[in-house]
Amino acid sequence: MRRRVLVAALLGVALVMVACTSGDRSGSSSGSGSGEPVTITLWHGYGKVESPNGQVNHEALSLQNQIDAFNASHPDIHVDDVFCCSNDNALEKLTVALQGDLQPDITYQYGTSMAQIATAPGVMDLAPLTQDQAYDWNDFFAGVRAAGTIDGKVLGVPAQVGNLAVIYNADLFAAAGLDAPGPDWTWDDFVAAAKAISDPATQTFGMAFPADGSEDTVWHFDAMLWEAGGDILTQDNTHAAFNSPAGVEALTTLQTMAVTDQSMFIDEANSKIDALFNAGNVGMVISGPWAVSGYKDVNYGVQIMPGSRGTGSHQTISGQDFWVAFDNGPERAAATQTFLAWLTAPEQVQQDSMETGHLPTRSSVVTDAFVTDFNTKFPGEGLFAENLQNVQKARPALTSYDQVSQIMGQAIVSVLLGQSEPQQALDDAAAEVDQVLAGG
Amino acid sequence: MATVAPATPSRPSLAQRLWRSDHLAGWLFVLPAVFLVALFSIFPIAWGFVLSLQKASLLSPNRPFIGFDNYTKIASDPHAIRAAKNAVVYTFLFVPSSIAIAMFLAIALNQKIRLIRFYRLAVFIPVAVSTIATGVMFLWVFDATFGIANWTLGKVGLGPFGWFNSPSGALPSLVIMTVWGWLGFDTIIYLAALQGVPHELVEAAAVDGATRWSTFRNVTLPLLGPATLLLVVWSTISAVQLFDEVFFVTKGGPLEHTSVPVFYIFKLAFTSSFGFSAAGYAAALAYMLFLVLLVLTLAQFWLGNRAVHYSS
Amino acid sequence: MNVVDVATLPGEMGMVEAPRRRWLPFSPWHLLLMPVALVMLVPLVWVVMTSFETLAQTQHFPPILWPGSFQWRNYPNAFNSVPFGRWFWNTTVVTTTVVVSNLVLCSLAAYGFARIKFFGRGVAYFFLLATLMVPIQVVLIPTFLIVKQMHLLNTLGALIVPNLANVFGIFMLTQFFRTLPIELEEAARIDGASRLKVLFVIVLPLSLPALATLAVIQFLWIWNDFLWPLVTIYKEKAFTLQLGLMSFQGSHANDTNLLMAGNVMSMLPMLILFIAAQRYFVRGIATQGLKG
Repeated sequence: MRRRVLVAALLGVALVMVACTSGDRSGSSSGSGSGEPVTITLWHGYGKVESPNGQVNHEALSLQNQIDAFNASHPDIHVDDVFCCSNDNALEKLTVALQGDLQPDITYQYGTSMAQIATAPGVMDLAPLTQDQAYDWNDFFAGVRAAGTIDGKVLGVPAQVGNLAVIYNADLFAAAGLDAPGPDWTWDDFVAAAKAISDPATQTFGMAFPADGSEDTVWHFDAMLWEAGGDILTQDNTHAAFNSPAGVEALTTLQTMAVTDQSMFIDEANSKIDALFNAGNVGMVISGPWAVSGYKDVNYGVQIMPGSRGTGSHQTISGQDFWVAFDNGPERAAATQTFLAWLTAPEQVQQDSMETGHLPTRSSVVTDAFVTDFNTKFPGEGLFAENLQNVQKARPALTSYDQVSQIMGQAIVSVLLGQSEPQQALDDAAAEVDQVLAGG
Repeated sequence: MATVAPATPSRPSLAQRLWRSDHLAGWLFVLPAVFLVALFSIFPIAWGFVLSLQKASLLSPNRPFIGFDNYTKIASDPHAIRAAKNAVVYTFLFVPSSIAIAMFLAIALNQKIRLIRFYRLAVFIPVAVSTIATGVMFLWVFDATFGIANWTLGKVGLGPFGWFNSPSGALPSLVIMTVWGWLGFDTIIYLAALQGVPHELVEAAAVDGATRWSTFRNVTLPLLGPATLLLVVWSTISAVQLFDEVFFVTKGGPLEHTSVPVFYIFKLAFTSSFGFSAAGYAAALAYMLFLVLLVLTLAQFWLGNRAVHYSS
Repeated sequence: MNVVDVATLPGEMGMVEAPRRRWLPFSPWHLLLMPVALVMLVPLVWVVMTSFETLAQTQHFPPILWPGSFQWRNYPNAFNSVPFGRWFWNTTVVTTTVVVSNLVLCSLAAYGFARIKFFGRGVAYFFLLATLMVPIQVVLIPTFLIVKQMHLLNTLGALIVPNLANVFGIFMLTQFFRTLPIELEEAARIDGASRLKVLFVIVLPLSLPALATLAVIQFLWIWNDFLWPLVTIYKEKAFTLQLGLMSFQGSHANDTNLLMAGNVMSMLPMLILFIAAQRYFVRGIATQGLKG
């Protein structure tokens, strides 16, 4: 999932690699027959289990424990887990590896890369797995399933999901004489609160917004667009639809805060939001579950997205990462499917969530009892788990989606920087998107 | 350049003459390096050229040939034109300013004063710190609201400026950041070159009553000529190929005001933000860039070799 | 032959001290250099201080420049953890080999280009420079394929072989060699010295500042390189420091402090080398030949 650029950049610094978390048991590629297990390789981006400062990396540990358990219970398969690279570099690493026929059996990839991966040779269609009744594919959230399905092919099973909600600084709300946001709040409440909290004298902003024009900028807008009843593209994915009144309403809301009220901190490189929120200079951010653990210095609360003026909808948007599989011969392909089915079964999903704070990828895991436990262990994240129910739409699963996103991102930023008006910016972007969609 | 061969009484054989000829000797000296560079260049450059004739995604083996279509569409691509314009502005700002400042600083660092080793180390440090770390720092320094740059300028009644957040200010901010970050590189090269400037000449000029400026102009500057040509050519190539700072810090924004050619090429080849199967087009752009740099470098050498005085 | 021992040259480090009237108790150059040095040092201070902070402190605004209690844990038993020592060793082997190889091969080639007139010299020289003009992003994959063909993937050879000779080094040394007084070399040739001997006995000793500078630059590039190791090294055993340091980060961990600690550790060898290289910033004997 897209985390902010700072992390991306920091991880990018020295990028990547493929390390055998578990030492040097790399192993010969296949070779069953004589009772020797089929070895499959999995690339992940969770880092090493033990960092030298003595802290435990729970994500890496959870994955390794699960793989060890699988290997113990499946003597005919051996899964070799390899720390390949930070997730930001996973696609680049895979691209080069494919040129040399060095691709792994399973790799962790961002949902936004799925359209590109669809063209890679040997990428597996996991439909046989997802069509299996016992697997219960529909237990995964609809928006997430759609993001992994390109042109009818299931190119990945969910590895992680996230969604957007509002994280607010409770002390700043109190200081401004405002009530903490409730579940019924609206965008008008949001804008008014942002204005009330803003204070140039103390360098306090009502909200902070990622304005690098990346997908991070765009999905914030997407959620608002959907709430207002709009869509990114037309039903048949042939034309832009975001320049509807709903789109203008959403973008005007942002414009009001950025330009009129100047209550928005515009983070041009998408790298300062967390630090400013954690320092108490920002009243509200719209972010995901991964953000809250960093907010140690402020008294924060979490609330679902504000409702749209017209529709009252509080829907949000999900971001997701996938396990993508490559076909390296029938034996390994079969072993890969067996392992993925096991790894993404409810039991493992629940276990991993409680260990790491990842939101559950399956809806059956999100019971009231689970949310209570989850929120106790990871304060604030319970709401994000429940908020998965508010994910109603998915971004279009289109090979040209990145291009659409790029164009929309530029339009949004130009309005935030006061360079154009919402209707005009969206109309221009729509014309460009139509051209892309027509050109293929 | 006269090379005098030792006199030999008897007439040398062909093999001997060849062995002694400058042609063979010259090639023997340069061959190991030329061979290694060629080994790792010829195939990749040819590969890139073939790619530029294809409609290709790096992920997919399916790459139909489309002739020179990738080249013909460059002229009508607004993103490419924007990137080219940015590169021109950036290069014209970056190259002269970084070289002039480095030359001045190198002269300062060549003084015989206390703490000089400390000063030299300090100037070198930004080169050693990672681009990421300096990038993160500059985003704070140049923050419109919280940055120390606006705070300081505000004290003298200037600003506030938008820096990276303003369409007109982003590229100049990038220039400031990169000049600062790479100054140490140019400076240590000038510093090395200054070690070859004869002390006696400078002293003689001083004795003759020359002003500092005329000593610098007539003695030091000509001797720095070869290093200056080196830095002009190298900085131009680096500036036109600027990537890291844009990739890590500005991401080409805001609104493509810091989008530069190699950054655009990278996005075309390794992402699908500008469409799919764009790797061939990216390669075509890289080849255009290659041609431009080739011409630019030839011109610099041509001009440089007229202006620069070599000892031989 | 007229070889001058560098160590006997008068004057420290070849600096110029012009006689002047003192209107300050110290050289006015300090007025320029002290502020410049401070501005240049800021990132180092920031990086070092961040490396001693807790994660929460790194998230703080304004950035904390004095952590109060120093988190020495961020510089842990890094060297005791086996892979870290191994990665450090790998990086040292790769960097040292590349630097030494470049000093030798670039010197040879630069001497050839600067001093010998041979058929195809201009073309060969310009061909080398032209290879600098193709962005690495475009040649990454084909270069990877060559290295794979040579069966060097996952070995230190993948990091060494493509870097054995660097065009910048040839370019730089050629420019420097051209500034040396040719009279010394010609005299030696008349005395019967071979070209190789001229290079090693006359040219290189005169070029110590340039060679030291090249060594520092080359070291910096190889030591810090990450894109190339990223795509050619798939096994932890052959990791370099820059690759290895990243494995201490989780998928969502924003461990700026650890990153900076790693940064400082990997920066130290570069700074030490730079300080060591300064002793070679002695004015070459260039002067000796030029007096006329």
